[in-house]
Amino acid sequence: MTAFIVKRVLSLIPILFIMSVIVFLIIYLIPGDPARVMLGDGADEATIQQLRANMGLDQPLILQYGQWMGSALQGDLGDSYFLKKSVSAVIGEHLQPTLSLALLAELIAIAIALPFGIWAAVNRGGWADKALTAYTLLGITIPGFLLSMFLVLLFAVQLKWLPVSGYAPISDGLWNFLKFLILPGVSVGVVMSSVIARIVRSSFLEVMNQGYVKTARSKGLRERSIVYKHILRNALIPILTVIGGTFGTLLAGAAVVESIFNIPGLGQLLVHSVSRRDYTVIQGLVLFIAFTYVLVNLVVDLLYAVVDPRIRLNK
Amino acid sequence: MEKAQPSLHLAKRKRAFGNRRRGLLKRLLASKTASAGSVLIIVVAFISFFAPWISVYGPHEVDIVNRLSPPGTEHWFGTDNLGRDIFSRVMHGTQISAQVGFTVALSVAILGLVVGLYASMYKWLDQLLMRTMDALFAFPAILLAIAIMAALGPSVSNLIICLIIVFIPSVARIVRSAALVAKEQTYVEAMHALGASQTRILWQHIMPSTISPLIVQSSFIFAEAIIVEAALSFLGAGIPAPMASLGNLLADGKMYIYNSWWMTLFPGFALIISVLAMNLFGDGIRDLLDPHVRQGKGKK
Amino acid sequence: MPEELLLEVKALRTYFHTARGKLAAVDGVSFDVKRGEIVGVVGESGCGKSVTAQSVLRLLDEKHDVSYEGEIRFAGSNLLELKQRQMREIRGNEIAMIFQDPLSSLNPVYTIGEQIIEAIMLHQKIRRKEAVRKAIELLRLTGIPSPEQRVWEYPHQLSGGMRQRVMIAIALACEPQLLIADEPTTALDVTIQAQMMELITELNRKLAMSVLLITHDLGVVAETCQRVVVMYLGQVVEMADVASLFARPLHPYTIGLMGAIPRMDSDRTQDLQAIEGSVPSLLNVPSGCRFAPRCAYADEQCRQHMPELKRDAASGTMVRCWHAGTLAEAFEATEAAIATETSEAAERAEEKGGVQHAIYP
Repeated sequence: MTAFIVKRVLSLIPILFIMSVIVFLIIYLIPGDPARVMLGDGADEATIQQLRANMGLDQPLILQYGQWMGSALQGDLGDSYFLKKSVSAVIGEHLQPTLSLALLAELIAIAIALPFGIWAAVNRGGWADKALTAYTLLGITIPGFLLSMFLVLLFAVQLKWLPVSGYAPISDGLWNFLKFLILPGVSVGVVMSSVIARIVRSSFLEVMNQGYVKTARSKGLRERSIVYKHILRNALIPILTVIGGTFGTLLAGAAVVESIFNIPGLGQLLVHSVSRRDYTVIQGLVLFIAFTYVLVNLVVDLLYAVVDPRIRLNK
Repeated sequence: MEKAQPSLHLAKRKRAFGNRRRGLLKRLLASKTASAGSVLIIVVAFISFFAPWISVYGPHEVDIVNRLSPPGTEHWFGTDNLGRDIFSRVMHGTQISAQVGFTVALSVAILGLVVGLYASMYKWLDQLLMRTMDALFAFPAILLAIAIMAALGPSVSNLIICLIIVFIPSVARIVRSAALVAKEQTYVEAMHALGASQTRILWQHIMPSTISPLIVQSSFIFAEAIIVEAALSFLGAGIPAPMASLGNLLADGKMYIYNSWWMTLFPGFALIISVLAMNLFGDGIRDLLDPHVRQGKGKK
Repeated sequence: MPEELLLEVKALRTYFHTARGKLAAVDGVSFDVKRGEIVGVVGESGCGKSVTAQSVLRLLDEKHDVSYEGEIRFAGSNLLELKQRQMREIRGNEIAMIFQDPLSSLNPVYTIGEQIIEAIMLHQKIRRKEAVRKAIELLRLTGIPSPEQRVWEYPHQLSGGMRQRVMIAIALACEPQLLIADEPTTALDVTIQAQMMELITELNRKLAMSVLLITHDLGVVAETCQRVVVMYLGQVVEMADVASLFARPLHPYTIGLMGAIPRMDSDRTQDLQAIEGSVPSLLNVPSGCRFAPRCAYADEQCRQHMPELKRDAASGTMVRCWHAGTLAEAFEATEAAIATETSEAAERAEEKGGVQHAIYP
């Protein structure tokens, strides 16, 4: 078990390293001098030089990376030139809305995908299965932000059941918190659910052919117990993998949806930083989300061991 | 029972024979999914190509007096906040999306093919290329796209470069794994033994078996590129504002979502149809080219 | 013999619905199993013996793949007419089954104890504590050492033979009247195979439990069964009690299978002289006698007309062959060597159970 964890963690190091290099190099895609671009045309030479020095742009590339990564590992992602705050603090301020949205969307996605996928697998070839095929096609075809806008048109503008946009923290009461998150949560969750449901279906179909399912049936178990006790747990690993994958996508992909619903989360911070050309924030944020994404997948890997004793007990 | 058997056997042989004779194109038409996709693609291509001739109004023709007018005989899809004709703008937007999608899909196919093939051939290159691809792949697509666009600045050509970077890994991975399978086959080993050059083996003998997964993946990337383009433009990080891209139209639609539903609905449907066309096509092609999937479907 | 019939299969047809039509994997099979008896069903893979076994418990996917015709009478009622709910009362409780591959037959994510307890508590109203005690008892009965610890281990921690013992323990959980063993030893190595058959015959004697043994190995049949059903391509081709089958095999397919008996005392591969060719697919079932294309003695009559299953006057054996009588004589006359071997096998069948008795007293 410990060996399994250590192996997984070690295997992440090269990928995290290359990811950080990519994030670091993004700033060098800027045509011309980043400091000059950030400050705009009106800036005087002295300010530009000072910003260059602050950002470490006057040092050799490797040294720059070393310093940037070194402090990033200690939780210091630099300071935002525009917000006059540390990037970590800015990220902290915008974290709660994004996490709330991501969790809600993930819950909705699982709540749809699990029963739908199981239903399609158990009735493979039947109309439930065909419905799932159509649902999946629509899911990969309609992007979350478009579904959001359609839902806003219907439920907020026409029916006026829910607010068009905004955000309230959970401390304002559960309903206030939820009423702003329902539409974005549903639109992201529905799109996610189509991907997950597809995996649930195929994973179930694979496990349904295993010998132990026949054994379970020959014991006289009812179909429902077979599905939920014997198949589900064995089918869980690919399902967990795809859920982990979607959660990372949620953290980042919520950017567009957040900007539609005017939710002050990481996505909106990213979009605003892009228009402000606040590259320190962009770099820090991208690195933060990417690392979180990788860590979520690590947690999923560790969940494998909980689900499957073969992974747990193999030293 | 005994009588039924020979005729069953005959029918099976007939079918197998027919399958072999019918070409890919005919099988394409026989597949409902693929032909639906093809028809939609032709419609979308037609509209985007003839956009300037179909619409009476130019996509940038401002008419302040008739701003925000609902759909009617004059403006089929209504007008926007500057009185521009939505129908015309949607058609131009579709054209831009299709152009971006096509350019990205084609470039990614070519570059991904090269990266994947050479990675499959040389161990050290494999480590270097595929680790980089893994890292790129580990970023959520939209996040990487926004970050790159933030650095490059919004423009059509930058958008294309950005999407190419974002999508190369998925193609390179698929090509590489198909190439690794092909490499194990005896005839390739025989070519090695005969002393054929690496380049020749790679391009003449390994490359052909990577083509069908490549085509399938490229059509999905076409669709995905259209979506990401729309999302980036929507956020103001894609195609710059006055251009009538679908993402820009939707961004305008969002500003007037309270009173002008047509500004959201029509560009939205145009986006869905374009993406659906490519996805249907890709699905259909995959079923046609992958005998495993075809058999599986036959059984069910 | 006045024994009571426990299982009676009458004209069973099991159809698979495929993209290429409705195919009868089991095509008019009839046989029976008496109380306390071990009946073998023999044939190569693809001959329908496994489908027959699974049809008895109706384990095949009736929603999509399969439909049945005929009758399966068990303790008076026709299983094919029961509702799924009633069928569940029978499965595991009255009729239990063990399968070929003991690794894939056990759920990898639950302990073996959990899987035995599940079977016990499903059909018996007892407390979990009691069920645990019973599970340990069953493991001990099936010859698993230190069952108190093993009971909380996972399938992957056990050897192949141990896993099959666990499968048997699960099957015995509710003291079924009939055990269907579908190639229970095929996936195990030779020494374990013998122990496993020993265990099954012993349980048969101790618990008076009937066994339907599905196997491709006539050697196993000779040592354990009282009666035997030989199947080929969905049909019964020969049916007899073991002694007369081995003394006087009538069907050329049976004779061929006897040539393929692997013997433990010699090199296995050398001894395995299989019948030429393989079982044809259900998609092209030969007209006439189904075995004709592979049969050395087939003539025009065989190729044109399907023989009926008839009783051989001399031995009482049921056989489906136009030339049954003449072939048997030819067999006895010319294949003297094989005849000696098979009568040895028949002797072994009579004195079965002598070898490994010491291991499981």
